[in-house]
Amino acid sequence: MKRLFKGGEIATEDSPKLTRVDVLVEDGKIVQVAPGIAAGEGTEVVDCTGKVILPALFDVHVHAREPGQEQKENILTCSEAAINGGVVGFVMMPNTAPAIDTAGVVKTVLESARKCRIPLYTSGAITKGREGKELAAIGAMKAAGAVMITDDGYPVSNPVVLRRAMEYAKNFDLILASHCETMELSGKGSMHEGKVSYSLGLEGIPAISEEICLDRDIRIAQYTGAHVHIQHVTTARGMNTIRRFKEEGVKVTCEIAPHHLIFNHEDIRDYDTSYKMNPPLRTPEDNTLLLQGLIDGVFDVIATDHAPHTEFEKKNDFQSAPFGITGLETALPCLYDRFMSKGVFGWDVIVKRYSAEPRRIIKLPPVPVVEGGVAEFIVFDPNGSTTFTKEFMKSKSSNTPFLNQTLKGSVDVVVLKDEVLLNR
Amino acid sequence: MTPRKDLLDIQSLTDEELEFILSNAVPFKNLFKRSVKKVPTLKGRTVLTLFYEPSTRTRSSFEIAASRLSADVTNFSVSTSSVVKGESVLDTVATLEAMRTDYVVVRHSMSGIPNLIAKHTNASVINAGDGFHAHPTQGLLDVFTMREVFGGDVRGARVAFIGDIQHSRVARSTNLLCRRMGMQTAMLAPGSLIPRELPQEIAVFQDWKELYAWKPDVIYLLRVQTERQNVPFFPSIGEYHRLFGLTDERLKWARDNGIWVMHPGPVNRGVELTDSVMEYERSLIDQQVENGIAVRMSVLYWLKPGSSTEDKP
Ligand SMILES: [Zn+2]
Repeated sequence: MKRLFKGGEIATEDSPKLTRVDVLVEDGKIVQVAPGIAAGEGTEVVDCTGKVILPALFDVHVHAREPGQEQKENILTCSEAAINGGVVGFVMMPNTAPAIDTAGVVKTVLESARKCRIPLYTSGAITKGREGKELAAIGAMKAAGAVMITDDGYPVSNPVVLRRAMEYAKNFDLILASHCETMELSGKGSMHEGKVSYSLGLEGIPAISEEICLDRDIRIAQYTGAHVHIQHVTTARGMNTIRRFKEEGVKVTCEIAPHHLIFNHEDIRDYDTSYKMNPPLRTPEDNTLLLQGLIDGVFDVIATDHAPHTEFEKKNDFQSAPFGITGLETALPCLYDRFMSKGVFGWDVIVKRYSAEPRRIIKLPPVPVVEGGVAEFIVFDPNGSTTFTKEFMKSKSSNTPFLNQTLKGSVDVVVLKDEVLLNR
Repeated sequence: MTPRKDLLDIQSLTDEELEFILSNAVPFKNLFKRSVKKVPTLKGRTVLTLFYEPSTRTRSSFEIAASRLSADVTNFSVSTSSVVKGESVLDTVATLEAMRTDYVVVRHSMSGIPNLIAKHTNASVINAGDGFHAHPTQGLLDVFTMREVFGGDVRGARVAFIGDIQHSRVARSTNLLCRRMGMQTAMLAPGSLIPRELPQEIAVFQDWKELYAWKPDVIYLLRVQTERQNVPFFPSIGEYHRLFGLTDERLKWARDNGIWVMHPGPVNRGVELTDSVMEYERSLIDQQVENGIAVRMSVLYWLKPGSSTEDKP
């Protein structure tokens, strides 16, 4: 089977400039990347004029909610939501019910993932039941296929336990991902502590709750020599701490979620629970500085923290509603709409931070659109637009601030090897 | 004036609406001196009080206000222990819709519950206090009371709030309204009860000496709330009273300087203030209670159930 993607422009991680070339795919491999390729007999031609071809996206922070919370999402619906957003592969978080904390659960989850049209990966918990007390069976989970360990949703509050986990994970060359929060400081808080939380009368989650834990976790990584990956950074101060430790040579990587670049606490007017997430939306100044950090490269990866919840749960008062928003389907359009379309940064940032680096972090090779590579790319239409209605979304949940909004850009085609997974 | 469905906070009130409520409260208060205290304004309408947090004081104030306007008043009693979350509140709201209530007066320990209810009902929703968020009728009655003692013009008057500012919806609403009306405000409290990132124009004092120097016209004492977290906000009630309470000595200063004293009630004697404040000639505490009825009548008179909510800011 031959397919010719004609007239598009290719994005790479090395340059903000796009290259205008045609791409010929045969039997799941990219056989030719050159200008003006003529379509041979029996070759299906996909018109990509005016569109951008970029390596398929990869997300290292996704809540697929299986096992145990399938009313919110399951692995299959989550994978379809990913495809809908141009994401071909992601890492599941272990805060399921039961938690993914044994080799058995890892195997069960990966078994479920085999039904999906894209490759999926899972993390395992650091501690049993994500309780922060005893180490989970880290070696056995790695052998069963876990690519990362994390207690995401909670920090490992006890520094001794975290130290042992890091020392142990090092043996297995496993990356330890850290949700940074000082639970006592967060208390019953439901949004960023600041002038908006004061005026809404909501208890706040102070920036120091995240910053103190982040500083502690990186210091333990520095001490133990382990690789720590800081999840969903939200404060500019925390980001600068990471920058400093990176300069000192500590093995630390980190991620930024699109919503922390785009929204801030001032968006939480009238108690709209679709802006409730943990860590919370911070300040407009944080937005600006975090964006600069993404451009400068402090952030290794963009990750959505896709966190589906039922409408019933989110249609609650702000304090009672659960934290989290969905992100797989909106990520690329919202980044394009707010940043690339305005020239804030180029496509190279997306390719590097939301395709190549996320794969490298879990030791997978990137999938550039080059001759001899696997065909694993998407076609994005910058002139198109996407309206995020419930019908459009493949996720079981639609808890996103973008619900019923139209954003610039549209993921038109998703190609994985010999399959066209999406063709709008 | 565009008809308004709900009163949820102070922020969303326009100057025109504020003036309307405050000036209409005057004739309503005059009515109290007549032998027949009722007017037929809301005849045939129903007012429902929905209190998830007990408060006999505020609830009866609303109930008296409603009955003086000839409305039918019902009290929907809710078990405070089992029903706390928004989801069950919405079940109750569905019941209210079926009962065709015109006005719902809500108090809840969680911020934003009145906003949630307002979105799901055609009735007018009046926030009677939600979490740490707002208590708009308290703010209105406080400012109404200040206008009475300052002869109508409150601009330039200085009001100091003392006590648990962090957790006080009264402090939020009254303070905001005071500043809207051109008053200057200050705060005195233990550091652990002062919110971060207050607007710059609000002076924050460490002790009474600084407050004396500021020369306030009114001191507004806030109720000290019982501890809300495992870690207390201050060492003891005794220390609080000694350092931040209106003691006999400080009451003497107040008397010498003709300072008005306010408190939203109920008072913790021996904590926020000394017993002798109850006989202080410039205590406005009873006047606040009386004005509460007039102001709430004015609010009920002003709101229009079923009107559009789309122009809410
Ligand atoms: Zn997460």
